[in-house]
Amino acid sequence: MAAIHTEKLEKWYSTFMNGRDVAPALKSLCLDVREGETFGFLGPNGAGKTTTILLLLNLIRPTSGSALLFGEPVTDSSVHRRLGYLPESVNLHDYYTGQGLLEFYAALLKVPVEMRGARIAELLKLLRLEDAAHKSVSKYSKGMLQRLGFAQAMLHDPDLLILDEPTASLDPVGRKEFRDILVELKRRGKTIFISSHILSEVESVCDRVAILQKGELKRVGTLQELSTARSSRLILKNVPGVVLEALAASEAEVTMSRGEVTVKSGDAATQSQVEELLQRHGIQPERTEVETQSLEEIFFSTIESPPKI
Amino acid sequence: MSVVFLIARDSIRALLHQRLLVGLMLVSVAMTVFFSVIMSRTRQNISSQFDASTAETNSPVFNKMSDEDKKKMDEAMEQGMSAVQGFFYAASSFGGSLVALMIFGTAVASEVRRGTIRLTLSKPVSRLQYLLGKYLGGVVVMAGYAMIASIAVLIFSASENVALSPVLQYAPWLMFCRQLMLGSLAMLLSLFVHPAIGAVLAFVAGNGLYSTGNPLYYLLPSYAPFNVFAAILQGSMMKGTDVVLLTLYALDFIVWMLLLALWRFQRKEVC
Repeated sequence: MAAIHTEKLEKWYSTFMNGRDVAPALKSLCLDVREGETFGFLGPNGAGKTTTILLLLNLIRPTSGSALLFGEPVTDSSVHRRLGYLPESVNLHDYYTGQGLLEFYAALLKVPVEMRGARIAELLKLLRLEDAAHKSVSKYSKGMLQRLGFAQAMLHDPDLLILDEPTASLDPVGRKEFRDILVELKRRGKTIFISSHILSEVESVCDRVAILQKGELKRVGTLQELSTARSSRLILKNVPGVVLEALAASEAEVTMSRGEVTVKSGDAATQSQVEELLQRHGIQPERTEVETQSLEEIFFSTIESPPKI
Repeated sequence: MSVVFLIARDSIRALLHQRLLVGLMLVSVAMTVFFSVIMSRTRQNISSQFDASTAETNSPVFNKMSDEDKKKMDEAMEQGMSAVQGFFYAASSFGGSLVALMIFGTAVASEVRRGTIRLTLSKPVSRLQYLLGKYLGGVVVMAGYAMIASIAVLIFSASENVALSPVLQYAPWLMFCRQLMLGSLAMLLSLFVHPAIGAVLAFVAGNGLYSTGNPLYYLLPSYAPFNVFAAILQGSMMKGTDVVLLTLYALDFIVWMLLLALWRFQRKEVC
């Protein structure tokens, strides 16, 4: 069963004065996030990432289509018992202390009373908030609020974590710690849905990614599935002179070192030209090294460039 | 503990942390007591000066007064006493109305504006539970206000040696019912328009703008029957059955307003 399933989910925002927007914030989104998967949700500002999350949490209503969490419609609030949510801008009730706020949320989440104290203490320690536990939330820094927000999302050890820009306010140390926590949660089989601008972060933890632009799902898949070979290198040995001459005459970059010939093809056409030549002369490469695109390259090749000024 | 009670407790906590609201409540009670004491003292001064002048001069005017005139004068003095109590009631009722509009009008709207509602509704909390919890929290705070106002009137009456008007025994309850009606309407309107506009509309909607000949009178709330100011002035009694009927009217109105508020809130986008 998919942890998240959306079927032609669409959202148009409308205002009382202006009527419907000219373009949908989300356009017919069909998405499946499998249980136990870490899923990256990418896109430039205004792509529809937060709109999708708000729809999944039933905080806004879809114009059309449907969304299910663990097979249950998102309108059923009981399914929220299985999810933890960290919003992009963490706005917390500032009339509590950090500990008091977590106690309030733990009660709402029906965390057994006998387990609450230990669970809260564990999370405060994990997120380095022990010293600020009895301090008013109104005195917390942005980074501390982010960490407290993460603690409330993990209070009931949910099966699904929906994280919207989770590291936006964290320093490099906080980001590293956050990544370590995600890796541990992933190891424990939790489903994690991350919307982030920090591509390196997504690349390091996510199993699959989806790229959204202007409300439209552009691409979805694993990094391997999404990346096209940027270049390939064939390492050859005992190459006859005639073949070497032919290779040198091609578009490929040929280098020789210690009896090895390295042939680097910059594009698919050159690569097939080289492979054909080698096949004709019955030469098998010693090994092949394929250089794939990074997530950043995939991302930028997917989204349309902004108009030039 | 039920989710509704948890939300209500959180709501009370939030309200008591609003300095402006707590200040308004305290100032409302303090000003009511202050001006009522001034009015009471003024009445006592006039009364004692009149007594002194008649005793010292053996005023022929006073001697010429018939028993009926003297009785009328005593009644006028009693009316003055009732006016002080009426003023006390009117002031605390008005102050309470402002507090109710502020509490209920901002209960949901302020959470939406600050974005804190997102986290609460991302928990297994239905919108019905959330709305009821918010309303219940407001009810508890308003009950506290009504209790403080009642205690203040008792202390004031004892210290100023003022005999309580018979209708005053029901006045705090009716004032409380009226404020809850006002609050439920303000809460409903805050889900459509800005809370300040909603508060103004809720206040004017049931404050005598409509006559019985106007069809809107039967659709909009009527706060007038809950106002016992005239009864205090006249020193008249109120029947227990009238109080029960008014309570049922308030309850009916509140339930309708909450159902409409829920209908709206279920459709409201909290982004």
